[in-house]
Amino acid sequence: MLKAARNIIDDIGGCVLFIKDVLRTAVRSPCSLESLCDQIWRVTLQSLPTTGMAGFFVGAIMTVQFTMQIKAFGALGYLGGLSTSATVREIGPLLIAFLLSGKVGAFTSAELGTMRVTEQIDAIRCLGANPLQEIILPRYIGIVISSFFLLAAGLMMSIFGGMLLAAFFAGINPDEYLRHIPTIVSPFSIGTGLFKCLVFALVLASVCTYKGYTTTGGAKGVGRSVVSTAVMTMVGIVVTDWITSLISEAALDMFGGGAL
Amino acid sequence: MELQDVSIDFGDGPLLKRVNLQIQSGESIVLIGPSGFGKSVVLKLFAGLLKPTGGQVLVEGHDLNALKPLQQALLLLKMGMLFQKNALFDSLSVGENIAFPLREKTSQSEEQIQERITFFLEAVGIPHARDLFPDEISGGMQKRLGIARALALNPQIVLYDDPTAGLDPITSRRIVELILQLRREQKSTIVAVTNDMARAYQLADRIVMVVDGELIVTGDKDQTLKHKDPRVAQFIRGALDGPLTETSA
Repeated sequence: MLKAARNIIDDIGGCVLFIKDVLRTAVRSPCSLESLCDQIWRVTLQSLPTTGMAGFFVGAIMTVQFTMQIKAFGALGYLGGLSTSATVREIGPLLIAFLLSGKVGAFTSAELGTMRVTEQIDAIRCLGANPLQEIILPRYIGIVISSFFLLAAGLMMSIFGGMLLAAFFAGINPDEYLRHIPTIVSPFSIGTGLFKCLVFALVLASVCTYKGYTTTGGAKGVGRSVVSTAVMTMVGIVVTDWITSLISEAALDMFGGGAL
Repeated sequence: MELQDVSIDFGDGPLLKRVNLQIQSGESIVLIGPSGFGKSVVLKLFAGLLKPTGGQVLVEGHDLNALKPLQQALLLLKMGMLFQKNALFDSLSVGENIAFPLREKTSQSEEQIQERITFFLEAVGIPHARDLFPDEISGGMQKRLGIARALALNPQIVLYDDPTAGLDPITSRRIVELILQLRREQKSTIVAVTNDMARAYQLADRIVMVVDGELIVTGDKDQTLKHKDPRVAQFIRGALDGPLTETSA
């Protein structure tokens, strides 16, 4: 128990120091624009179909759930607003981020871990280059930008999925579904959702690059890094979700506004 | 290059205990010794990939680990290293593996870089593999590519970690002849690790045995064959009985 707690603290401390080194590298010796664009393109292209599909079904599931709940109150007209609010503010970013942690996080961690155990990272340093600048920085920034974009795209798809299921499941036409969204979903709600997307993207990029870069111990070590990345990312996402929710509530209280 | 009172400990007892070694410019040193006693660690200390827990690693009179990162990087540019498992960039083609350091650390034009790739691939005898990927070429060719990449920046010091590991005797001999030929052409200093005694004699001006946390400088081929330390005698003859097997038992 004590050892597990110490390992968690070690991991958090190591990750924070690693992020500090990455940021310092970003300021002192930024990576090339070409390698950054290449990463953004690769990550986005790899994950766009699955993220879009996940977003679609998250919206669809929320619509089905809300239909069953609010049908009894005869308030089906508010289905679009309620479903979209819950998806954009909470469930959408969370579930899509989980999916990305499995796809982008595991891939990056395994890729970097393999480079570490096959001494490719040492070779980069021996050839006079900085591994943080050459391989970590483009991946880190690339994952943050791509994941933010993918999460936002997933949320768009969730609205589409919700709208489609509302038509099939509750017999609500798309115009009716969309009409109540602005009355319940405020710009603040959308801002909160996007803020969460950004925070989750930062958690994902930090954990997977850190765990991959610090891999030790051959193929088994790479396996350990991938598992550890999945666990750390999901726990990190849940914890930061809670924190960002608290911040959002506080901001809402401070600046007012009755919308959900 | 010099190790001064260098110790290193990975947490389960010291691997090297206050060892000293001086290597002259242009010299060829071969490190031999039982597996797990720290031969590759010595190379990685010189390459700045590991920091000693005590003592100093001097390169051209500078303490490698006391230098600022930029100064250290400049000094490391004078070194090339062939890794035990080659450490080739598997996402880059053979040609691009050689181009990597040239693009990173020189201001050569694309045309000049392509010329250098051709030069090095011909020097190591694999010009036909230019557009293949590392996993599409044989072990011997991978080794040759590793050597070409290590030499791409014309380093004054070249570190070879087991350059003939896993190769057949004929390819091993060719690789060592290639290393010696390139050494003559580039007038470089060599530090190599090998447990193949025939190749060690072929390559070394001086042989150094790494064992029990010590560095035993055994000298050239004749001096090594006549060395009085029973551990050296057992190792070079591959005898089953002796102090080395008693230690490991």
